[in-house]
Amino acid sequence: MSSRKKALLKVIILGDSGVGKTSLMNQFVNKKFSNQYKATIGADFLTKEVIVDDRIVTMQIWDTAGQERFQSLGVAFYRGADCCVLVFDVTAPNTFKSLESWRDEFLIQASPRDPDNFPFVILGNKIDLDNRAVSAKRAQQWCQSKNDIPYFETSAKEAVNVELAFQTIARNALAQETEAELYNEFPDQIKLNANDNGRNRDGDNCAC
Amino acid sequence: MSCVSELSQSNEYLSFRSSIPLRKIVVDSDGSKAWRIFDSGPKSVSCPLICLPPVSGTADVFFQQVLGLAARGVRVIAAEPPPYWNMKEWCDGFKRLIDYLELDKVHVFGASLGGFIAQKFAEVTSNCPRVASLVLCNTFTDTSVFEYHDSAALFWLLPSLVLKRMLMGNFTTDKLDKRMAEAIDFMVERLESLNQSELASRLTLNCTPCYIKPQALLHLPITVMDVWDECALSSRVREDLYKSYPHAKLAHLKSGGNFPYLSRSDEVNLHLLIHLRQFDGTDLSASYISLHKMPAPTNQPEEGTVSYFNQREKVVKIS
Ligand SMILES: Nc1nc2c(ncn2[C@@H]2O[C@H](COP(=O)(O)OP(=O)(O)O)[C@@H](O)[C@H]2O)c(=O)[nH]1
Ligand SMILES: [Mg+2]
Repeated sequence: MSSRKKALLKVIILGDSGVGKTSLMNQFVNKKFSNQYKATIGADFLTKEVIVDDRIVTMQIWDTAGQERFQSLGVAFYRGADCCVLVFDVTAPNTFKSLESWRDEFLIQASPRDPDNFPFVILGNKIDLDNRAVSAKRAQQWCQSKNDIPYFETSAKEAVNVELAFQTIARNALAQETEAELYNEFPDQIKLNANDNGRNRDGDNCAC
Repeated sequence: MSCVSELSQSNEYLSFRSSIPLRKIVVDSDGSKAWRIFDSGPKSVSCPLICLPPVSGTADVFFQQVLGLAARGVRVIAAEPPPYWNMKEWCDGFKRLIDYLELDKVHVFGASLGGFIAQKFAEVTSNCPRVASLVLCNTFTDTSVFEYHDSAALFWLLPSLVLKRMLMGNFTTDKLDKRMAEAIDFMVERLESLNQSELASRLTLNCTPCYIKPQALLHLPITVMDVWDECALSSRVREDLYKSYPHAKLAHLKSGGNFPYLSRSDEVNLHLLIHLRQFDGTDLSASYISLHKMPAPTNQPEEGTVSYFNQREKVVKIS
């Protein structure tokens, strides 16, 4: 392939409400943080271009409210996800315990082709706070037991590890996307226009 | 027209056609020219979403938006223009249509040519705004991206068969899934139903030199929706659109081909909802209920509530 197609990576952030999902996304995309808590309502997304191994890719990052469970979001929300980010708050043990069910529900709803190897990334957020209640070791152990999910300790407030975590998210998502492309997402693909592959993509023909 | 495609036989399409009447509205002195519209959702909403089709589309190509969004209380009007041969005529006609429908302002979802004209209309009305926001789908800001500039002046005398062939050549792409193939079949049927003057006038608009001045639209909320697989528009054209509207929300779809409102209707509808949600509780709301509220999780199809259609006479004449 001479000119590689530009990649669009769909990333979904899940986790209990209040753990810092929206804050992490805003820190990564807009380099901003606010102490004020504004509950996210409904699903929304932001896009950001990043460079992964010399390749420009566009990340489409979906944020959710947390309390709305999956069914209400519908398949459109999950279709084509390339990476799922699960967030917990290191000062709130129950948000850590929820990770398992978030992961399971994602796998059920998104039903990726190869669930065992679908890329997840876990973020333990709010490490800037003193009242930590989930140790790094405990979180790491859990991640290892789940097929070695990458784990990062972050602070959306102080921008600790946010960039690094999203770089890993992008890289793993890209690997997933590339594999999905190779495998061919469309088993019922129909080939048309066999002789038309060389057609000039720069001069467009008509807007149908 | 004989309809044999999967989509035109689908329950959704049949229920759409049986619940929402096709209205013909004449707003020009030439009484043979009529807009064709499907108007769903509550009439109390005075700032609805109007969908404008591409060259080969008819109003019903948006049936899945009408059905899906009506279930969320959104008033959606799918509108198809009569033959207009230049941009000014088109914009004047559209303004008379929204006056006739007693709408102050409208949100416009425009696909390809429909998106180009939506931008033009917003530009020419920017002094006395009639457009509340834009969702631009697989569209462009300059007709020079097409290679037919020289022939644009001749479309009016080409037979419809030739015009149809010109368009049909762009329909197929290398990689198709089932839903994309069904969307193409459906669009081919719509294209077959169009007559020579409808097709020639739209192609003329599509290819006559014309461009948008985006500065006039920088205050408008805009969502740019595009599909990243092979489709009629190259990545260069897409990038031009992003540059024209740096403030726009970018709603990229991984795949879907030329007609994502048919082939990826659930994703398109989700993006439309997210776009319209910012107007919740304002004069510009397109829905009579809050779009922030997630629907209760149910498995029932989202067609139950399409019952607000207008029962007025189907042909309305304005003298
Ligand atoms: N100290 C601290 N507070 C945070 C951090 N991330 C988020 N917060 C705060 O936690 C609250 C919830 O954050 P939010 O991003 O809305 O959580 P979401 O419900 O998961 O989207 C807000 O008041 C944030 O300011 C962090 O890294 N450190
Ligand atoms: Mg949030």
